Amino acid sequence: MSASLDKGVRVLKEMIDAPIASYFSSCVHCGICAEACLFYTETGDPKYTPIHKLEPMRRIYEQEYTLLGRLAKRVGLSKAVTDAELAEWQELVYNSCTLCARCSAVCPVGNDIVYMVRKMREGMSAAGHSPEGIKGAVTRTINIGSPMGVKLPAVKAQMKHAEADYGIPIPLDQEGVEYLVTLSSMEIINFPEYLGAIAKIMRHVGKTWTLSSEAFEATNAGMQIGNSDLARVIVSRVVAGAEKLKVKTVISPECGHAYTALRWEGANLIGRPFTFKVQHIVEVLEEFRAAGLLKLEGMATDRLTFHDPCQLARRGGVIQPQRNLMKMVAKDFVEMPDAGFMNWCCGGGGGASSIEEGEELRLEAFKRKKRQLEAVKPDRLVTACANCRIVLEEGLEHYKMNLPVVGLTETIAEHIPDA
Amino acid sequence: MRITNDQEFKAALAALDNCSRRQATAYLIRQALDLTPDTRVRAGLDLAVRCDANEADLAVAASGVNSARVATYTQCGHDANWTCQASHFVARAAQECVKPEISASGAWEAAMQARMARICQAIAAGEGTSNREAEAQYRALEAYLNSKEGQP
Amino acid sequence: MDTLQFLTWVRGTGLNIALVIFVLGVLWRLAEIYGLGRKKDLSAPRNMPGASGWATILRRSLPPPGMLPTSPVSYIAGYVFHVGLAVVAFLFAPHIALLTSIVAAAWPGLPSQVVDFVTVVTMAAMIAVLIDRIARPVKRFLSTFGDWFTWTLTFLPLLTGWLAVHHLLLPYTLMLAVHILSVELLLVFLPFTKLFHAFTAFGSRWFNGAMNGHKGVPV
Repeated sequence: MSASLDKGVRVLKEMIDAPIASYFSSCVHCGICAEACLFYTETGDPKYTPIHKLEPMRRIYEQEYTLLGRLAKRVGLSKAVTDAELAEWQELVYNSCTLCARCSAVCPVGNDIVYMVRKMREGMSAAGHSPEGIKGAVTRTINIGSPMGVKLPAVKAQMKHAEADYGIPIPLDQEGVEYLVTLSSMEIINFPEYLGAIAKIMRHVGKTWTLSSEAFEATNAGMQIGNSDLARVIVSRVVAGAEKLKVKTVISPECGHAYTALRWEGANLIGRPFTFKVQHIVEVLEEFRAAGLLKLEGMATDRLTFHDPCQLARRGGVIQPQRNLMKMVAKDFVEMPDAGFMNWCCGGGGGASSIEEGEELRLEAFKRKKRQLEAVKPDRLVTACANCRIVLEEGLEHYKMNLPVVGLTETIAEHIPDA
Repeated sequence: MRITNDQEFKAALAALDNCSRRQATAYLIRQALDLTPDTRVRAGLDLAVRCDANEADLAVAASGVNSARVATYTQCGHDANWTCQASHFVARAAQECVKPEISASGAWEAAMQARMARICQAIAAGEGTSNREAEAQYRALEAYLNSKEGQP
Repeated sequence: MDTLQFLTWVRGTGLNIALVIFVLGVLWRLAEIYGLGRKKDLSAPRNMPGASGWATILRRSLPPPGMLPTSPVSYIAGYVFHVGLAVVAFLFAPHIALLTSIVAAAWPGLPSQVVDFVTVVTMAAMIAVLIDRIARPVKRFLSTFGDWFTWTLTFLPLLTGWLAVHHLLLPYTLMLAVHILSVELLLVFLPFTKLFHAFTAFGSRWFNGAMNGHKGVPV
C-alpha cells in the first residue's frame, strides 16, 4: 500500500462530511480551543492551537466543497496543499495531539475538533506523513497481532504467572461464558498483576470469563495512526474471537484508546452493529458494585486521587463509575482540580507515547498534570489506563515527584478477602 | 528445613521478623541479578540485606531503584524488548524490599516480581513457560533459613 | 447621482439585491454544508439525560468549567457585542418599521436613548475584541484577512448608524445612505465568510452534542 500526496489529498477530501463542513464554516478564530489544550497552555506556542492542526484539511474543504472556493481554484487563486506542508503538519497532528478532546469540549461554536483530527490522520497516513513509532506499532499489530510484538507464548507465560501468584486458574478459549477479557500489550508486558486481579474479582463475584488465544489484543494502532482499513482488520480479530466463543460481553482493558476503538469505532469499522456488548473493565466493576456483588474489606487510609483517562471519561462517557469505586476502597479520596469531564490529559495518548521525537514536548506538557497533583498532594495516584500509568510515572520521575501510581482494578482486587 | 511449594515458601517468609524477612527477600532477588545491569538495583539490595540500614539511606536507595524501574518500562506501542523488561521486574522486586518495614505480602510480591523477570528472559529466549525461578527461590530461602539456624 | 438618488437606490434596489443575495446565499450555503450528510453511527448508544444535540446548543452558550478566566475578553466582550447587535438591530424603532414591512410581524422597541447607549457599549466591546485579536498571540496567529474584514463589516453599520442618528460626520441624508449600504454589504458577505457561524454554530453545536450524546457524554 503506497503513500502519496495525491492519495492523501483524496482521502482528506473523502473524510469531509456535514459535521466537518459545519465546523469549518463556524470557526471564528477565537482561540479558546488553544486555552483548553495542554500542548498550548504549557508551551505558549500558538502553533499548537487545535483548530490550526486542521488547516490543510480546511483548505481542501474550501477548494472542493464551496462554490466560491471551487471558483477560486479554477481561476488559480487558491493555494494547493503540498507534500511539504503535510510533512510540517505531522508534528501538529500526532506529536502534539493525544486526541484528548478538551478542545471539542470548549469550542463556543460547537466544533468537535478531535473528530476532525481523527479524520485528518487518515489523510496524513495515506500521504505517508505519520510517525515511525506508530507505523511500527501498526505493522507489528497487523503481522504479529500486537503493537508491541507480544505473541501467544508470552500471554501464556503471564497466565501461568498469574495462576501461581493468586492460585486461581485463568481460562482460555472457553465457549459460552459471559465475558471475553481482552488485554492491552502494555498490561501483558508491564502490568501482569492486572490479569491476576481480574481472576480474583471474577471468582469473587461468581461470573464466568475467558481469554481468547486468537483475540487477546484490545488496542488498535490502526485507529491511532488514522488508517481505517487496518483498524478494521485489527478490530475484526476481536469481533471474530467474541463471536466464535459466543460471549455476551467483551471487556476492554485498562487502556483508553482500546475502549474507543472497540466500543465506539468498532461497529462503524466493520459496517455492522456488534452482536455482543462492549464494556470497559471500570464499567464492569461498577455494575458489580451496584449489584452488591463486591464485598470488599478494609480501606486505604492514605490520600488517593484519580486521573481520568481521556478516552474513558471525556470521550468514552465513563465518568462517575471510577469515583464510586474509589470511594469503596479509599477513606481519603480527593479530586484533583478539573477532575472528571474536564480532566487534563497525561500527555501520552493517541499514539503520542510511541513517538520518540515527541518526548520533550510531552514532558513539558506534563507540567499541567504536575500542577493538578500539587494542588491536592496525594499519597498515591490511581488511574485506569496502562499507558497513562507509565506516562504519569515518567513525568513524575522527570520532575522528581515521589508519587506511586496504581491501577484501579488491582486496587479493587486488593480489597477482596482471600478465599 | 525443606521448601517444596509456594504455601511453605509464603509461610516461611511470614514467620520471620522484619529484618530477617528483608534480608531473605533481598537474597531471593539476588538470584535474578543476572537479569539486570543496573547498579542502582544492586546497590539497593546490598543495603537491604543489612539490619543496621537506616531509614534515610534506604530512602535514597529506594529513589535510585525507582528510577531504574521507571526507566525500564516498555512504552506503549514500542517493540517489546523482553530482556530489558526482565531488568524492569528485578527493579520492581527490589523496590519491595528497599523499605524499613517489609510485610509478608510485600516479600511475596517481591519474589513474584523476580519470577516475572525470569519469565521475561525465557520469552526473550523463545523458551517455554515453566518457571524455574520458583525452584531457585525455594533453594535460596532454605539456605538462608539453615544459615540462621546456627545463630543465637 | 446626487445624495437623494443614492439614498433612494440603497433603500430600494440596493436593499432588494442585498436581501436576495443574502437569502439565496444562506440557503445555498446551508445546502452546501448540511447536504454532505454523515454516516450513521452503528455502535450501541449510551443514552444519558442532558446528553444530546439540543442540550449542547444551549449548554455551549456558557463557558465550560474553568474556561472564563482563560479568555475573558472573548467571552464577556463577545457576549456584549452579540447581544448589543441584536438589541440595536431588532429593538430600534426605525429598524422595526423596516423589518415589519418585510416580514409582516410587529413588536415593540426600546426607547431610543437606551438603544443609543447599547450602540456605544457594543462598539466599545467590538473594539475590545479587536484589540484582543491583535494583542493575544493565539488570536493574532490564527487571524486572516477574513477576520479583519468581517470585523469591519460588522462594525460599520453600528458606527454609521450611530453617526447618522447624531447627525455627525456627513450630512444626514448621505450618512443614512452610507449606513444602509454598510448593512447591505454585511448581508451580502455574511453567507460567504465566517459570519455564517450565525447559522452554522447551531448546527455545529448540535452535531457535537449528538455525537457525544450517543456516547452518553453531555458536552
